[in-house]
Amino acid sequence: MAFLGDLLEKLARPPQELRAEHLREWAASVPGAIPIADAESRCSCKLAGVIQNVRIDPREGTGSIEATIFDGTGLLVVKWLGRQKLSGIRLGAGLILEGTVGEGRSKQLQVLNPEYQLLPAPEHG
Amino acid sequence: MARPGDVLKRVVLGRPMSSGELGHTLLPKGIALPVFASDALSSMAYATQEILLVLALVGVSALSLVVPLSLAVAVLLAIVIVSYRQIVRAYPGGGGAYVVAYENLGFTAGLAVGAALLLDYILTVSVSITAGGDAIVSAMPGLKEHKVGLTLALIGLVTLANLRGSKESGRIFAVPTYGFVVAIYVLIITGFVKCVGGCPQAESAGEHLEPEAALTLLLLLRAFAAGTTALTGVEAIAEGVPVFRFPQSKNAAATLGILGVLSISMFIGVSWLTDHTNVVYTEEATRTVMAQVAHAIFGGGFMFYVIQTLTALILILAANTAYTGFPVLASILAKDKMMPNQFKSRGDRLVFSNGIVILAVSAALLVVIFDANLNALIQLYLVGVFLSFTLAQFGTVMRWRRTREPGWQKSAAINAFGGSVTGVVLGVVVVTKFKQPGEFAGAWIIIVATPIVMYLMRSVYKHYTYVADQLAHPERKPLDRRPGNAHFVILVPKVDAAAARAVGYARSTRSADISAVTFDAANHAPWRRLAPDIPLKTLTGKKHDSLLANLRERRAALPRNDFLTVVTPEVLAGEGWYEIIRHPGLHRLKAKLVREPDIQVLDIPLVAADIDPVADQAHEPGRNHVIVLISAVHNAVLEAVEYAETMRPTDIRAVSFGLEPEETERLGDRWLEARVPHPLEIEESPYRDLGESVSRYIKRFSPDGVNRVVTVVIPEFIVSKQRHQILHGHTALIVKKRLLFENGVVVVSVPYHL
Repeated sequence: MAFLGDLLEKLARPPQELRAEHLREWAASVPGAIPIADAESRCSCKLAGVIQNVRIDPREGTGSIEATIFDGTGLLVVKWLGRQKLSGIRLGAGLILEGTVGEGRSKQLQVLNPEYQLLPAPEHG
Repeated sequence: MARPGDVLKRVVLGRPMSSGELGHTLLPKGIALPVFASDALSSMAYATQEILLVLALVGVSALSLVVPLSLAVAVLLAIVIVSYRQIVRAYPGGGGAYVVAYENLGFTAGLAVGAALLLDYILTVSVSITAGGDAIVSAMPGLKEHKVGLTLALIGLVTLANLRGSKESGRIFAVPTYGFVVAIYVLIITGFVKCVGGCPQAESAGEHLEPEAALTLLLLLRAFAAGTTALTGVEAIAEGVPVFRFPQSKNAAATLGILGVLSISMFIGVSWLTDHTNVVYTEEATRTVMAQVAHAIFGGGFMFYVIQTLTALILILAANTAYTGFPVLASILAKDKMMPNQFKSRGDRLVFSNGIVILAVSAALLVVIFDANLNALIQLYLVGVFLSFTLAQFGTVMRWRRTREPGWQKSAAINAFGGSVTGVVLGVVVVTKFKQPGEFAGAWIIIVATPIVMYLMRSVYKHYTYVADQLAHPERKPLDRRPGNAHFVILVPKVDAAAARAVGYARSTRSADISAVTFDAANHAPWRRLAPDIPLKTLTGKKHDSLLANLRERRAALPRNDFLTVVTPEVLAGEGWYEIIRHPGLHRLKAKLVREPDIQVLDIPLVAADIDPVADQAHEPGRNHVIVLISAVHNAVLEAVEYAETMRPTDIRAVSFGLEPEETERLGDRWLEARVPHPLEIEESPYRDLGESVSRYIKRFSPDGVNRVVTVVIPEFIVSKQRHQILHGHTALIVKKRLLFENGVVVVSVPYHL
């Protein structure tokens, strides 16, 4: 009976959880990167994640681009000021960056204009 | 927490797969071969038989011609395979014969091949599964009454396996397919060995046949054409290149080569054995040719039954080839705008579920119509395949002439020859299947159906290109950046909490013109208490008509730049399908309103459980976050953005969900080009579930309906001809349905009339 309960629990597990697990493994494999959940304000860290959201804002002055990345532990907003074109920043791509972590809109962890590297989408599953 | 329906789906289909896993679903050669080869190999099982049937008309003496005829068929098969290897290398995107015809012979040729192949795939499923059903009934004659039901059940099983994913179904089907190949080779080799001292004779050897026809060239052609049924299935590999593992073209070409070697050797081997065991086959025979040969070589022993079982299995599995080819072809046709967009989307398991389902339903319909009668179905069979063979090869010839790669003349000659031969076969098939007396002359059904399907595909194409034109048409672009005014008309069936929210919402837009209409004069008193500043008018006469007349009057009086919005509040007793269908009158009204030019419909649904009696007193929400759902940048979207601006919201943004990653940059560039002074967000939807993704996204704003509201603006295409509406709008419907019960979420349709 317990086995059946376990099986049902496994089936009911949302696929997002499995995906988060795979992303955690991938991010952990990036040398020197720490989990986003461990990043604190004002730390100068190396972080990695998969781009889940891209935001183009043509308003603020000369424009800005934001990419929200997820590494299975938390979300981080990466913001580039004074830039409008995406040039390779796309959904599903992997992003490795180094920079100072601050706080942006609604207390969300944010890094401004970091050094970064784009990777093809980490395949999971 | 998953709903019980989800858990059931998970058990049956397996867990949903994210788009990033697509690479893992691709097939390695070892699995691709059984998936695609089962059709080709299984048709080999009855090709020899078909040749004998024609030759039998001349008499027993002509039966030995089966070997030379098989050789001729084998040569043709080799040529077609060589042609298709080139097609596969030239068009790695899949679509095989269709793409060749489209690009090199023109739109109509592409249309013809597309239609022919789609119909043929459906027939493949019907024919093979019926044949498999026949085999089962032969073993268990008691099931004869239930043949149709049995066949439908088999279709259901194969469909389910394919909905789980090609790789999974391929793995399941690999064993019987390879088993069949091995068994036939065992048969052939054992046959050669036993024939050393003189071949064992088949049970029908020595039977006498009444000659009914003379041995003419035409008869030989008919026999040859009958044998060409061995070629069916080759085209599927070219259609399905996208499901191969990388490097896709190379693997597909290699698989074709292997298929060729297997097919030809097995076919010639069986034909040789058929000749030397002196099988005499007529339609009245109880045992198939294959069975008779197997019986002659193995006696009635174990191997005999093994071969029968595997033959039955592979006949059923031949359908699997169609289940891979059809959905991929349908998705390519949809990309080329010849089929509805719904065929482009992948389901939970990353397969083209819509294609699979339509294929299954069509095949099932055919089975029911023809009462699972194999002979009737087979007559329809060859036309589509040979039409596509012919056009594909001539298309390749045109391509050689265009690209002039080194050695092109020789290749072009081969293709031209192959195309001519398949063209001749096509002619013979059409003519003979029209004229054969007594037999079901059903080929005419296909010959009539193909142009009908072509016509339908052409209408879809014309419609989608018309839409694209309209969306990009500079004259229909919303006038630049002159803010229009928002006018609101609140529909008041009852003065309740939803009406109060509607009032609060409308007021928050600071519109100078808010009014209300009702059909029930009794609402005036409570309305005066709720919103004394908003005039309420009672409409008399037939409800919908008087409302529409009133709205049209108002709309006509407004400047073109302004927007007129009808607000429809409704209180829902609970969440669930029942609530949605409970008020058909309101739905009909909303549907009519959406079809009115230049009138927006804003829905304020309120689930009774979410009513806050203290707060819900026409309170103006302090925050109204507006998101405009977009998937591209065009006139309809720009108009929706303009509309959103008139709501004077706290913030506006455009959001796109579930875009193909490659499209991210293109959408961003187009947004910047359009110079819209609002942010664009592109949010992932890895499980391609739009409703869920939108709902999750909205939760970030924590809407409560009283202080914080999220307004979702959806551009909707309204087409002039009702029948075209099915080609659009399913996105809007999905989102509306999903958001209906979310507290604090308001959905507005901005119709764009085409």
